[in-house]
Amino acid sequence: MTELLHICLNGKQIETAIDPRVLLIEAIRDCGAKGARIGCLTGDCGACSLELDGRLVKSCLVLAVSAEGSDVVTIEGSRHAIADELQTAFAACNGFQCGYCTSGMIMAAIDLLRANDSPTDAEIRRAISGNLCRCTGYEDIVRAVAQAAQALHIKDGKRE
Amino acid sequence: MISHRFDYSAPREIEEAVQILARAGEDCAVLGGGTWLVPNMTFAAHQPKIVLDPKHLDLSTIIEADDEISVGARATYADALRSPIISAHLPLLQSMASGITGGISITGQGTIGGSACYGNPSSDVPACLVALRARLRLRSSGGTRDVEASDFFLGQFATARRPDELLTGILFPKQTSEARWGYYKLKFSTGSWPIVTSAAIVEGGRARVVLGAATAVPLLSEGPFPMNLGGDALKEFAKSCVSMSAAEELSDELAGPGYRQRVAQSIVQRALTQCGTSR
Repeated sequence: MTELLHICLNGKQIETAIDPRVLLIEAIRDCGAKGARIGCLTGDCGACSLELDGRLVKSCLVLAVSAEGSDVVTIEGSRHAIADELQTAFAACNGFQCGYCTSGMIMAAIDLLRANDSPTDAEIRRAISGNLCRCTGYEDIVRAVAQAAQALHIKDGKRE
Repeated sequence: MISHRFDYSAPREIEEAVQILARAGEDCAVLGGGTWLVPNMTFAAHQPKIVLDPKHLDLSTIIEADDEISVGARATYADALRSPIISAHLPLLQSMASGITGGISITGQGTIGGSACYGNPSSDVPACLVALRARLRLRSSGGTRDVEASDFFLGQFATARRPDELLTGILFPKQTSEARWGYYKLKFSTGSWPIVTSAAIVEGGRARVVLGAATAVPLLSEGPFPMNLGGDALKEFAKSCVSMSAAEELSDELAGPGYRQRVAQSIVQRALTQCGTSR
């Protein structure tokens, strides 16, 4: 038994036949958006984080059928200044080790920096509190997010 | 992928939803934010034949009406945090919402109504609803009834909601401007479940204190409480709010027998101390 799912995935309209038992993370990965990862499937680890209609969600907690008509953005579709600076800063600060949590961490960091352009360390830690790094590389991740925020500030300053 | 087969239904009208519930009863699970139901289905702990998604039923709104606030059953913790109505009239609820475990995404996905219906004693919502004298509005094909929060929670994962009923909203009396409130919870790490919670409201020389997560059902105490009570008198009052038998006390891998009982008094004391500084 299948149902037709219509979503806008990273800016592209998609129609795909899915089993109603499929989770959103599985459906979008099957459509090629493999940046979002399958981790715990309990909502603890945040590796499957993506934007669903503009909100950060853990997509292992979403039935794909319930996302009918939604706009989904994964790390592949995150092409803007905030994502660019995060990418640069994560590389510069060694903000990843094995890399499994990285796309989820960056999606959480994008969500933070959109709402708060100069977060404190405590605010950064709070923003990524729903994302687990099994390599325990948190210090460098926090540093990377702070550095990205600072870089965005400097660029904003130059534009003014 | 979820292993068992089920039908997914997202009705457009409440009447249609309650008809589905009337027919299916316990075979039907209502989808809230999905933070519990979906993983429980993924791990085959819950295998409903029908999943009812109330997403088209307009149950996410937070409305102010006379002396009450109505919070739709699908309102998330983030909706409560963003709402100026909740800031103005239910600061205790907002304080609870800001401390939810699981990060920004869970705050935006989990619903207050879903948590209430799940009835997990180790969660933030039950004690807060009891402290705030909330009423849970339940709709079935037979009509609508309101249940006081203090009558709603019946045991671990057990509530007064019948299988044929849909929670449509939670009604809260507005906190008056003289009311002082406190919410304190003990958890062992940022990502951990609450071990013991306490929600307290002091008003008109009386305190209403609820101890959560220590017993299967939130423990409500009320008594005369002069504002700014301190020292031994405060300790005595807090002690009177935490009396439970060893059989009633919850214990698990996070906190063994005797632990919750041992810490409960200080958690209540901290919630009551906050009442002196709130607003």
